[in-house]
Amino acid sequence: MINHHPKFELIKSFVNGDLPASLSAGIAIHADMCAVCQQTISQLTEQVAEHSFEEVYLDRFIVDNESLETVAAIDFNHMINDIVESSDIDIALPAVEKTVSFNDKQYTIPAVLSSMKLGKSSHIGKLTRSRILLNENEIHSSLLHIQPGGGIPEHTHKGFELTVLLDGSFHDESGEYVKGDFIMLDGSHQHNPVSTNGCLCFTVANDALHFTQGINKLLNPIGSFIY
Amino acid sequence: MQTNLLSKETSAKSTNMSDKINHPQLCQWLDAIAQSRDKQAFTHLFNFFAPKILRIARGKFPNEAQANEVVQDTMSNVWRKAHLFNKDKGAATTWVYTVMRNVTFDMLRKIQGNKEDNLSDDIWPVAESMSCESKGFDDHLADKKLLSVIEALPQAQQDVIKGFYLREMSQEQLAIHLNLPLGTVKSRLRLALGKLKVQLGEKHD
Ligand SMILES: [Zn+2]
Repeated sequence: MINHHPKFELIKSFVNGDLPASLSAGIAIHADMCAVCQQTISQLTEQVAEHSFEEVYLDRFIVDNESLETVAAIDFNHMINDIVESSDIDIALPAVEKTVSFNDKQYTIPAVLSSMKLGKSSHIGKLTRSRILLNENEIHSSLLHIQPGGGIPEHTHKGFELTVLLDGSFHDESGEYVKGDFIMLDGSHQHNPVSTNGCLCFTVANDALHFTQGINKLLNPIGSFIY
Repeated sequence: MQTNLLSKETSAKSTNMSDKINHPQLCQWLDAIAQSRDKQAFTHLFNFFAPKILRIARGKFPNEAQANEVVQDTMSNVWRKAHLFNKDKGAATTWVYTVMRNVTFDMLRKIQGNKEDNLSDDIWPVAESMSCESKGFDDHLADKKLLSVIEALPQAQQDVIKGFYLREMSQEQLAIHLNLPLGTVKSRLRLALGKLKVQLGEKHD
C-alpha cells in the first residue's frame, strides 16, 4: 500500500503550475497510482479555478478605472475574430503505451513521461540509469533501475532528492517503500536504500549525492551519476 | 446608518454574491461551441474569461506581449478543444483553468530556454483518453477515398498523418524522421485529425 505522498504545499504548487516539469511529472505519476492525492488535486484545482475566475471578476468592480483601461487596450474583438476564423478541431490522441527495458525486463513507462526523451543508459554495478532529457539546468531527472540485491551506499544530498517508485520495492533505515510511493528527501536526510527484489524508480535531484561513509567516500566522483 | 467604509464592504460582498459564477451558463456556451462551432457563444465565453486570464497572465509574465499570447492561446484552445470538455467531470471554470495553466506552463518552459516540448497536456490531461474515437479513425482511414481528404490537408499535417496512420510509424519515429520536436509532431497530428473529423462529419451528413 502506498504510504508516502507529496506534501500539501507541493500539491498546491503543482496545481498552480509553479513546479518544474520534473517535479510536476513526479506528482502526476504518483497521483495516477494514488486515489487519495488524485482527489486532493482535483478538489484543489476546482477551488483554485473558481477562485481565479471569481476574484479577478470582483476586482473589476473594486479596482480603479485606470487598470481597467489597460485591460481594454488589447483588442479583444480582433482576437475573437482571429480565433473563430479557424475551423481546426483539436482531438485527443490515443494513448500509446511506451516501454523501456532494463536488464531484459520490460517496463511500461508512465503516460506522463511518454513525450520525454530518454538519454542513453549507463551502468554501475547493479544500477542502471537513463537520464530524462528535460533541460532543467541543475535539476536532473532519471529512470533508475536497481537489480535485485542492489543498493545505493549511504549518502546525503545538498539539495533535494525525489524518488517515485514505478515498480518493485526498496527499503532503507526508515522502512519499506512500494510501487507508487512518493519519497521526497532533503539535505537533512541520510540514507542507504537497498532493493532486495529489484525496482524501477523515477528520480529527480538538484544536486549530486554525497557519500558519507568509509570507503564509499571514494564514490563521491560518481555521486552525480546516480541521481 | 452605516459608515462609508462599511457600506463599501457590504457592496463588495453583495457584488461577490450576485457575481457568483453562472456555471450552467458557461457549460451551455462550451457545449454550443462543441456542437455547432457557435461563434456567439464563444464571444460570450471570451468576454467572461479573457479579461481574467489577462490579469492572471500579467502576474506571471512581465512582458505584455507574452501575457496577451496566453489569452490568445488559451482562448484559441478553448475554441478548438471545447468538445473535449466533459461537464460530468468538473466545472467549466476548472477546465478553462487547466487549459490556461497548461498554456502558461509550456510558455514559461519555452521562455526559460528549456524546451519547446509542450509537456503540459501529459502532466495535466485536458481530456480523458479518447481511444474509442481514434479507433473509428483507423477504420475510416482504411477507406481509400479518404486519401483525397488527407491530401487536401496542409503538407506539414499530411506528413505526420500519413506517417502515423498509413505507414504506422510511432510518434517518436516520426519526430526523428521529420526532424521535428515530438511536441510539434503531436500537435500537427491532433490538428490533422481534427480537420479530418470536420471533413468526415460534413461528408457523412
Ligand atoms: Zn498520494
